[in-house]
Amino acid sequence: MRNTRRGLLRRRRPELDAATVASAPVPLVVPDLDIAPNDPLLPVFQEASGPVDISALDLDSPALEQMREAGVMLVVPLVASGELIGLLNLGPRLSERGYSSDDRQLLGRLAGYAAPAMRVGQLVREQQSQARTRERIDQELKVAQLIQQQFLPKAVPDLPSWHVAAFYRPARTIGGDFYDFITLPDGRVMIVVGDVTDKGVPAALVMASTHALLRSNAVRLLAPGQLLATVNDLLCDDIPAHMFVTCLVLVLDPATGNVVFANAGHNLPYLRTSDGVIELRATGMPLGLMPGMKYDENTAVLQPGECLLLHSDGLAEAHNSDREMFGFPRLADIVSQPRSGEQLIDACMAELADFTAADAEQEDDITLVTLERLASAVYADAVPSDAGPAGSDLPTASVTSASADECLLGQFAVASVAGNERVALEQVADAVRDQGLSHDQLERLKTAVAEATMNAIEHGNANRAELDVDIKVFRLADAVAVTITDDGGAPSVDPPMADPDLDKKLAGEQTPRGWGLFLIKHMVDAMDVSTDGAKHTVRLTIHVESTPIPLGKEAGDDEQV
Amino acid sequence: MNTPVVSMDVRHVGGGVAVVDITGDVTATCEQPLMAAYEEASTGGTNRLVLNFTGLEYMNSTGIGMLVTLLVRANRQKQQLSAYGLTEHYRQIFELTRLDEAISIFDDESSALGHAGAS
Repeated sequence: MRNTRRGLLRRRRPELDAATVASAPVPLVVPDLDIAPNDPLLPVFQEASGPVDISALDLDSPALEQMREAGVMLVVPLVASGELIGLLNLGPRLSERGYSSDDRQLLGRLAGYAAPAMRVGQLVREQQSQARTRERIDQELKVAQLIQQQFLPKAVPDLPSWHVAAFYRPARTIGGDFYDFITLPDGRVMIVVGDVTDKGVPAALVMASTHALLRSNAVRLLAPGQLLATVNDLLCDDIPAHMFVTCLVLVLDPATGNVVFANAGHNLPYLRTSDGVIELRATGMPLGLMPGMKYDENTAVLQPGECLLLHSDGLAEAHNSDREMFGFPRLADIVSQPRSGEQLIDACMAELADFTAADAEQEDDITLVTLERLASAVYADAVPSDAGPAGSDLPTASVTSASADECLLGQFAVASVAGNERVALEQVADAVRDQGLSHDQLERLKTAVAEATMNAIEHGNANRAELDVDIKVFRLADAVAVTITDDGGAPSVDPPMADPDLDKKLAGEQTPRGWGLFLIKHMVDAMDVSTDGAKHTVRLTIHVESTPIPLGKEAGDDEQV
Repeated sequence: MNTPVVSMDVRHVGGGVAVVDITGDVTATCEQPLMAAYEEASTGGTNRLVLNFTGLEYMNSTGIGMLVTLLVRANRQKQQLSAYGLTEHYRQIFELTRLDEAISIFDDESSALGHAGAS
């Protein structure tokens, strides 16, 4: 039943006779009329084949009563597609004669035209309002997405002998998942995964403040249990009543494999050990429910070859079309297979795709973080990607960190300002001083690093001073490698360019410039380029002929020129 | 890092020969000084230019590009370019880019001037 049962015409129709119209018509005023859905008048109008004479009706109807009081004589029901959408109410004729059959016919035809036109008008209005609502929802989703992405880490930590991978896929409605990596002052790494109840902008805002509270307190508190207790108390003051945050905090000592963790109601992480898959258990209430909570702190040790999976609800609690849940046992089973972090993430998502229908909409955000202690034999895909861009179709960045047999000699960043390549060059020279490079090799490396850094500043980061170029220097068994990373990770950048040719340049067939890449290639033994969608990395390698100096610098460091 | 860290001093040594003493970095920032030095060196019917790289601290690909530009201009004026004072590393780069085929390389000023005067 439509709710618009109102008097549509509040003045009686003027007679076509001009003389009559001129004789001061008295306007007929019908008050807004609400007809109850059970009023016996409705079926009469609904089924009438033309105008209805009010005086001829004998019904127990409050609406009829009201109409008579208002002076309505004749009602023309407006019916479109079998539905009563309005009434045309007429008072007495000005000529004080009754309505003729001609009048009734005319009014009947009028209603026949007017009703569908009105219906179209109503539909257009409804659609416009629906479109406005959709637009507003889309806008909100965009805002939520922006907030969320703002707080997700741009890269995973780069830890020798460890391999960290992360995966995040938002649901269309954007839940409140988040994860973070925080390097602590003592060299340990804090890994955080969390999930805010609720969705959309409110969840994104709570996520943002939780993220900020965790970050700002982590460095001071170091202990995960204490951190959760503090953030819980701070969050309780501000969080909306119906919302809370589940959160797992885990601190890894990369040197020993020791982890300390505490859990505020988040899914238990799975650890693949040589004895099977175990859960890392620690109890605690979700954040933001009530102040003064205590959080258990437990420890575990990750041995070489073991892999830890942190995961949010979106995976284990996904449903298929029969409303079955993906479930934790299924997930534990995937973890039990020997796989690298990325392979594990791929396997989880592949199983999920098999489980739900191909076109099923993802119910909740999915966040997966893997932490893998590399065995001496590393997985093929865990070796730093010198095979070029990874062929991964993952919608999010999963960044590869250094492999086991590399030793980080130095790591620094320069702002993307022209000229800073000289800073980079000096720092790299400093980092490789004791690595047995010949004078010539050192000069070549410096030139290559400077050129690659220039490219990163100018092209990758478009001279935006707020962006850093990250530089790392590694010692390998028989080589020194330098990686130069910028933010230009989009589908890559290096068009197949002809080698510069001096004759062509002198003849004006090539620009005088364009020597950079050519120089780099000829300065080092290998130049590899990789990209992960966000970051673009150039890796330069120079083989070192002389015996590598053992790790840990020798005392006299000025014997090498 | 944005102020030019290079100086280019021009010496007219007679016989249509001018020496440009380059001190510092040959990079994007030295485009103006280099072209100004070229103008100055080209006055008075100079037909041979000698670039003195003894004071060179750093040269990058942009700097090499500018040398190519200089070479194009010198070729157009039928002027010869030579250079001396390059370190082994930058000699290699000159060879790699084949700049050494268009710019004669010498060990020191006297051999560069000897050549410049003789031919």
